[in-house]
Amino acid sequence: MCPVLGHLDGRFESADAEAEHRIAVLYQEFGGPLLRHVRKSTGNDLQWAEDVVQETIVRAWRNSARLQWEPSLIWAWLLTVARRIVIDGRRRKSVRPQEVEPPEVDMMAVPDGSERALSAMIVADALRSLSEEHREVIEQTYLRDRTINEAAEILGIPPGTVKSRLYYGIRALRELLRDKGVAG
Amino acid sequence: MHDGVAAYVLGVLDEDEHEAFERHLDTCERCQAELIELVELPEQLDELKNAPSASDDDPPMSMSR
Repeated sequence: MCPVLGHLDGRFESADAEAEHRIAVLYQEFGGPLLRHVRKSTGNDLQWAEDVVQETIVRAWRNSARLQWEPSLIWAWLLTVARRIVIDGRRRKSVRPQEVEPPEVDMMAVPDGSERALSAMIVADALRSLSEEHREVIEQTYLRDRTINEAAEILGIPPGTVKSRLYYGIRALRELLRDKGVAG
Repeated sequence: MHDGVAAYVLGVLDEDEHEAFERHLDTCERCQAELIELVELPEQLDELKNAPSASDDDPPMSMSR
């Protein structure tokens, strides 16, 4: 083998090995906690949750500059990336025929029924005490799996208004839940 | 741009806006701090989505009343 090519091959191999090592480290550090959170939003679908975690880790690796952030920000970003992947997956699934995934599955797989019902009540109460404008945009976007633009069309208001109301509504909800000792 | 942090954390931005906000996040300390504050909220809202009463015929909120 030509020594120059051999040298280059060696460098490529070590770059691959380094990438693999970095991905393994990311898995070790974030894989477990991410999986626990993601499973909640996949209705305990473990296979789906594992795929989501894998994709999240790969995206983190591709955006390694963000891994220089402080740990709480890295974690917030990773959770947001993972949630987005779940939401995109759910949107794709919802255009498939219903028999692929009956809607009951999500609800039947929910553990700790009474405890969760209680937190659901607290969150519902907090939501009810928001102004109509704020509650409406939270309901029409996140709670109904709709984007800002889709909700804007349904509500007949500009997307920028939905985005801004969502911001103030979410901040208000966060304050309410923090007062009730729900938020961490 | 800053008010996009709520839509971003909830994952309700269109893909191009989502990516644009992520680039904004790279340099905006205010949004970075707010992301950390808001990151648990979607899971709390999920409690509502997953609760047994949260079906289409019986929304837990006041919209249909």
